[in-house]
Amino acid sequence: MTFLRTLDRFFYRIEFALLVLFLSAMVLLSFTQVFLRNFLGTGLVWADTIIRHLVIWAGFAGAALATTEERHISIDALTKFLSPRIKHVAQLFTGLFATITCVYLGDAAWTYLKDELTSGGVLVLGIQTWQALLIIPVGYFLIAFHFLVKLVENLLGVLGRQTVKRV
Amino acid sequence: METVLIGIGLVLLALFGAPLFAIIGAIAMMSFAAEGIDPSVVIVELYRIGSNPTLVAIPLFTFAGYVLAESKAPTRLVNLARAFFGSIPGGLAVVALVTCALFTAFTGASGVTIVALGGLLYPILLKEQYPERFSLGLITTSGSLGLLFPPSLPLILYALVAKISIDKLFAAGIIPGILLVVLLAGYAIFQGKKLRVPKTPFTWSNVFTTMRVAAWEIPLPVLIIGGIYGGFFTATEAAAVTAFYVLVVEVFIHKDLNLFKDIPRVMKDSMLLVGAILMIIGAAMGLTNYLVDEEVPMKLFELTRTFISSPIAFLIVLNIFLIIVGMMMDIFSAIIVVVPLILPIATAYNIEPVHLGIIFLTNLEIGYLTPPVGLNLFISSIRFQKPVFTVVRGTLPYIAILVVALIMITYVPNLSLWLVNALNVR
Repeated sequence: MTFLRTLDRFFYRIEFALLVLFLSAMVLLSFTQVFLRNFLGTGLVWADTIIRHLVIWAGFAGAALATTEERHISIDALTKFLSPRIKHVAQLFTGLFATITCVYLGDAAWTYLKDELTSGGVLVLGIQTWQALLIIPVGYFLIAFHFLVKLVENLLGVLGRQTVKRV
Repeated sequence: METVLIGIGLVLLALFGAPLFAIIGAIAMMSFAAEGIDPSVVIVELYRIGSNPTLVAIPLFTFAGYVLAESKAPTRLVNLARAFFGSIPGGLAVVALVTCALFTAFTGASGVTIVALGGLLYPILLKEQYPERFSLGLITTSGSLGLLFPPSLPLILYALVAKISIDKLFAAGIIPGILLVVLLAGYAIFQGKKLRVPKTPFTWSNVFTTMRVAAWEIPLPVLIIGGIYGGFFTATEAAAVTAFYVLVVEVFIHKDLNLFKDIPRVMKDSMLLVGAILMIIGAAMGLTNYLVDEEVPMKLFELTRTFISSPIAFLIVLNIFLIIVGMMMDIFSAIIVVVPLILPIATAYNIEPVHLGIIFLTNLEIGYLTPPVGLNLFISSIRFQKPVFTVVRGTLPYIAILVVALIMITYVPNLSLWLVNALNVR
């Protein structure tokens, strides 16, 4: 468990750093582009494509962090009124479901990536399309991992409390 | 039988708080798999919407909004508004409405307004002898007021999902947005007179001082609206300029935020929301494609047509339906999931997509406040440590006013469409 938690923190830090990097690049690049277009009547031909992909990369980094910080959007109309104990048990099921779904989504993204790999298109600046898409499977697998760590923590929590009660 | 069981299972999981993107993604993948199509088409759709040029506006505007919320811009804005409106009866309440509305346009009605501005305004309201229940209701209502003003995140998202022009929708929201603020301000002034709350005298020196302090933030709305409708730049470019401008102003000019200590955290907070939205939109676009292929919207239309013949009756049912949706779901998922289903039906009833957008968002704005589960009620209850019931009682008169405004917006399409036509926005 300590190993899982350390790995979880490790990924969290990397995601955080990448998020800051991608968003900073997005802000600077998109402003530069507007500036060039409006004042100098020119522009960087590759910039728009890069900016659009930065949105996906930063978005997945944000989504991975949102998993750890429990900030994914869900319907909370019912959970607000549940007792903490029932909530914990419910979280076991929802957590398991989320983990499995993300693995499947990651797998689907992997299939898509392999298709791109064989068709072998180039995006801009010598970046291959599959390289730009790499974040989608990786992102889903990272999200799945964060959900898994939460699930294990929850499971230990629920079991732990029961043993305490029996003693 | 199996499908029914899976359906029930997914609904239960959703109700017990499973992330919505996982629910939607699972439905999409299973639907495609049942048709013998590889689930990777879900990813194709995610990539398509994810690399849509318009989507860039979302992280940039959201980031700008979060920077503003974390800086001292709220204080400067409130002082400025007090200098202008403080002297009329109920002036401070009007200040709250106007500043929150302007602010929400930037923060996108994500609950940030109540925390950032409400936390500032609520103690002042109480100190100036506004009753507790009145003030609670006011702040709770103001928290989502202004989501009809550009460049609010729900407007951008709606335009993206409905595939209509952002510029059009931005223009369409302005008059209905002003209508909401004016009606609520009227009520605030009426209450201010009745309660005889103290007023701050109007002085020009006060106006000038507060304007000088807020000089860097005042041009923002002009920059965005003027920039877009003056034909200087697109909504996405406006987002790029706003994000950069706000960052420079708050970090280097006002020095409210430190580039290395604060900005990374603000970036993370804003992208948590954007990431969560991207996950839902990515999963939902696949599902939408499947539903459209199966002609589900047309089947829904045939079904509704047997019960509802006139557009007016359709709009009444739509309003009720949307308020329930707004109560259950947050505004972002509601837009992403419900719009693709409703839009073809509404178009078949001859309702203009832009007008539908404004109706949709006004409904969801009310949904934020609707007991028992409206989101703002809970944010206020936590932020001000008052029981939800107290917040609900304080909010009821405001809901009544918003419903009146909703009826006007729904049945007078020109409130939304007039400016779009007058500006000749394409």
